[in-house]
Amino acid sequence: MNKKLNMVALAGLVLLAGCSGGSGDDKTAPNEVNLYTARHYDSDKALYERFTEQTGIKINRIEGKADELIARMKSEGANSPADVFITADAGALWRGEQAGLLQPIESETIKARIPENLREPKGNWFGFTRRARIVAYDPAKVKPEEVDDYAKLAEPRFKGKICVRSSDSIYNLSLVGALIEEWGKEKADAWVKGIVANMARPPEGGDRDQIRAVAAGVCEVAITNSYYYLRMASGEDAADKAMTDRLKLAFPSLGGKGAHVNISGGGVAKHAPHRENAIKLLEFFASADSQAHISANNSEFPASKDVPVVAPVDAYVDFKANPMNVAAFAARQPEAQSMMSAAGWR
Amino acid sequence: MVALPLIGVVLAALGPDSADIAGRDVARYAATSLWLGLLVGCLTAILGTAAAWLVVMHRFPGRRFFSWALALPLAAPAFALAYGYADLLDVAGPLRIWLRDQWGHDLPFEIRTIGGAAFILSAAFYPYVYLAMRAAFVNQSVNVLEAAQMLGCGRRTMLFHVALPMARPALAAGVALAVMECFADYGAVQFLSVQTLTTGVVRAWSVYGSTASAARFALPLLAAAALLFWVERASRKGQVHESGRARWRDISPLPLGRLGQVAASLFCTLLLLAGLVIPAGWLLWKLLAARPDWAWLLASLKNSLLLGLAGALVTVALATMLALGTRHLPLAGRIASLGYATPGAVMAIGLLAPAGVIWNYMPSSGTGIAILLLILAYAARLMAAALEPIDAGLARVTPSMRQAARSLGRSEAGAAWSVELPVARGAMLTATLIIFIDILKELPATLILRPFDFDTLAVIANNYAQDERLGQAGAPSLLIILLSLPAVIWLTRRVTLARPGQQDDSDWKE
Repeated sequence: MNKKLNMVALAGLVLLAGCSGGSGDDKTAPNEVNLYTARHYDSDKALYERFTEQTGIKINRIEGKADELIARMKSEGANSPADVFITADAGALWRGEQAGLLQPIESETIKARIPENLREPKGNWFGFTRRARIVAYDPAKVKPEEVDDYAKLAEPRFKGKICVRSSDSIYNLSLVGALIEEWGKEKADAWVKGIVANMARPPEGGDRDQIRAVAAGVCEVAITNSYYYLRMASGEDAADKAMTDRLKLAFPSLGGKGAHVNISGGGVAKHAPHRENAIKLLEFFASADSQAHISANNSEFPASKDVPVVAPVDAYVDFKANPMNVAAFAARQPEAQSMMSAAGWR
Repeated sequence: MVALPLIGVVLAALGPDSADIAGRDVARYAATSLWLGLLVGCLTAILGTAAAWLVVMHRFPGRRFFSWALALPLAAPAFALAYGYADLLDVAGPLRIWLRDQWGHDLPFEIRTIGGAAFILSAAFYPYVYLAMRAAFVNQSVNVLEAAQMLGCGRRTMLFHVALPMARPALAAGVALAVMECFADYGAVQFLSVQTLTTGVVRAWSVYGSTASAARFALPLLAAAALLFWVERASRKGQVHESGRARWRDISPLPLGRLGQVAASLFCTLLLLAGLVIPAGWLLWKLLAARPDWAWLLASLKNSLLLGLAGALVTVALATMLALGTRHLPLAGRIASLGYATPGAVMAIGLLAPAGVIWNYMPSSGTGIAILLLILAYAARLMAAALEPIDAGLARVTPSMRQAARSLGRSEAGAAWSVELPVARGAMLTATLIIFIDILKELPATLILRPFDFDTLAVIANNYAQDERLGQAGAPSLLIILLSLPAVIWLTRRVTLARPGQQDDSDWKE
């Protein structure tokens, strides 16, 4: 009887698989591209549609956290259908590269459009938009010159005045990675300890919550990615807009060379079954139109200088950006994590 | 087959690589997990028992309504509660700003703490204890309680010295379920920045790229799951024969004074508010300002339904076979059930190992194979929830019934088909609904194994929350609640209205 039940169940499963099957079973079908993306913004969908319109190439998409996608690609191995891997942080792209999941590509279009420091030197991945990790502050309590350098945030002046999220956030790991790259381990370590001593509360919430905490008077300075502040300031939510209206954004400098810049970017998967289409898709993301679309909808800064931007991004787009190569700080994140954990940055 | 992910975790833990995570951090994560489990255990035990005792033994306004409505928070995913409360009670949230402006005072607590997380998870999971205790109190022999009353026991003595000791197995079972859910939680605790052992798993896995180290973090959690499961099982044993041969009558409720009545109604109302109405209401309010992408939500809703139904049917079929097949091998059932308390992140690691083997032969781009894999993952993860009621249902079949069937010439399998399964039919339906609700809320397996262009409501909610867009996360969260509510209402009415003496002494049977 158990055997019979087994058979029934098995038949059911096969039937189910059959019913829902079909699309995409043939992984060498020419006119499609498989996208593994850690960006999940609604506005990106319009971008995908535009790509299909222009090229006739259909995009099959899986969204997830970068680490889940990396783990999935690892498990899929040489049989992975992944063509393009996209994340919202250089560190995650580096993790993918380290896991042997990406392949270098040669594209004159991308080289021409994207500044060299936003490209991984061997061509494994590159960024198509920029996000600065900077500070939002309360101008009633803090003078602009007190937050014009990352080093100043760790000084006793800000004891109990800093809000920042947990070291689980890859944006924080990338920032500290950049400090290690610029200053060396010792100074970066002292900075991390200084920030921990200056925290107004144990790290909690996301970047937006830090900005709100400044507005609520819990702290004076919040470390945040630029687009979170800009999105709040653009008026998605009336209460958030009212809060950002009372705050200001500052772009601290790293080693006198400008603010730490991270990327949204991507690369071609190691075993990409549609390599040509993958390159086309990445070139599409690098185009001025795509960069402008992402900037307009998600308040990120374009990677290329010649891309037009709209409010509220336009007021900040000419900020001084540290020219450090994205691969340089991305590779420092395990060091950064150990350093931050040791200092008690939870 | 359903134990594959667990084997995957254990095998992964034997790998050589390791992550640079300080012992101090490990100790802190472990302590947080332990505290959270303890707090949720105690809180759900107190709230669930108090609610059940009030509803069963007392007369107060709204009693009939509360007797089933108190289980409704089962429909709300814990992560939705976390989104709602974290936003509402944030330092810069509307409530606290208003309080500061009006009264110059702030609330004396933070929601993103162990205490806050324990409150939220308890509000989400107390129905497990409530349902178990309600069934236990209802099933208690009226004679015993009346005897206690006649012997001059006060209400308090009756509860603490008579009813509670008799209901101890149900209490253990309910609390074990709540704590297991608490350990398995994926979205809520992470969203609240409460760092449990799961944080360690994720850190080792993602930052240091060490699957082995991540899996080693997972082992103590698996051990805890096994322990809880053993507690739950052991407690069930006593319960089956407890009811004896007493004649069933309705328990005559104890009268309450006016103040007591108000207090009882208020308590039940507060529970319902905390577990469902406040967080869901707040998400709804936030939703009014957002512009949801309805076409996408609708497509995801269809996917959620498809997965929920298919997953529930397959899981229940497997659980029934397992229950029939392992009556003499209880260990197998227990191992298969471990997935229920396995933390989401750990499950993800465990699932990828067997999935990788399959992907080696069939690329994951095939939608059919991906969905099939996902359904098997659900079966592995949620087996316990199906196995419990089905086991209980099958326990109604006495050996003599089976022997009668055999003596009438049925084979072992024939007896199972024509006697045992019909008896357990109600239990199987119950299990199907429970699994259906659980799959709608499920995150880690769905996130990591789903096919291309295939989002579910839970996935969308998680994506929006990751991106700190809570207004948008409200729509999919509320849709999950809406889809689950009918199933929960049906389930709880069935369980709570089936009074002993009406038909028979079974909670599960129709």
